[in-house]
Amino acid sequence: MPNRRQVLAVGGAGVAGLIGPSLVLAGPVAEIGMQGTSRGEHVWFTPVGLAVAAGTTLRFVNLDPGNSHTSTCYHPTLFDRPQRIPTGAAPWDSDFLLPGDSFEVLLTVPGVYDFYCLPHEHAGMVGRIVVGRPGDEGWHGAATDASDLPAVALDGFPSVEAILQTGRVMPPGQP
Amino acid sequence: MFLNLSAATLGIALMLAVPGLAHAESVPEDAPPPAPYAKVSELVPLPDFLPGLGTLFVDPATLPAGPFLGYDRDGKLAATIFMTPIEDLQGGTSYNDLAVGSNEVSSVDIYYNAGHPGVDKPHAHVVLFHGADAKSRVAE
Repeated sequence: MPNRRQVLAVGGAGVAGLIGPSLVLAGPVAEIGMQGTSRGEHVWFTPVGLAVAAGTTLRFVNLDPGNSHTSTCYHPTLFDRPQRIPTGAAPWDSDFLLPGDSFEVLLTVPGVYDFYCLPHEHAGMVGRIVVGRPGDEGWHGAATDASDLPAVALDGFPSVEAILQTGRVMPPGQP
Repeated sequence: MFLNLSAATLGIALMLAVPGLAHAESVPEDAPPPAPYAKVSELVPLPDFLPGLGTLFVDPATLPAGPFLGYDRDGKLAATIFMTPIEDLQGGTSYNDLAVGSNEVSSVDIYYNAGHPGVDKPHAHVVLFHGADAKSRVAE
């Protein structure tokens, strides 16, 4: 049973705080796994792209028995990175999750959220969540500021269209 | 003249030429190794036991290359591991005269690793196994 390390509400008022799990888990919950090969040659989020409704709680779970991972969104307040989440949504950083640990975040602002694993961005371990659909009130599309992102990270984001078409995009080579 | 070296003299010459041989004699077979070695999981956020490598100890001053000493679940030395960033190797960095945990090396595995806390850059793992059963002792 994974440990729930932290629950972070990411709402529209730009306020992030710790709130009770019972409140967060009242809505739908979706899971994104953090995985890697046994020797650590490859690491990835699975799915790498996911479409959810506003108000969904995302649960990140470290399923990799031999490595630590983070779920960290791109935001200037976190390691001075470019903003790649909707304006008005509060940023999140799970900190390092050991094997079996998990972290939850509630997403309420419609738009595109890009995130990465802190020690593995240069290995292409990134992901994208689409909350709602284009045209929803307050929708923010995919960020265009590539800034300091390595090419391998930029190449790792599925297109918004692909995510919306299938609901979830698996990483290359994963069923 | 070289052919007339006594066995003792040759031994001393080898120890001077290969510092790792001398170092190996100071590493205990049972965990934990003495300071300056420290448990990797207490230095960085990694699990205590890493499948394939064991419970790792390292002298932080030797990062990133190590040596890392890998102990099995019974606390017996199983492997010496070196971690050499690919980017550094490409840039001309070489890692010479690295110490080993034991003079007995039964096999060596070399493979790519995408990075982890402590050695964030993509790097090579060079794993020296100490004993025929060492790999299986740290497999899981």
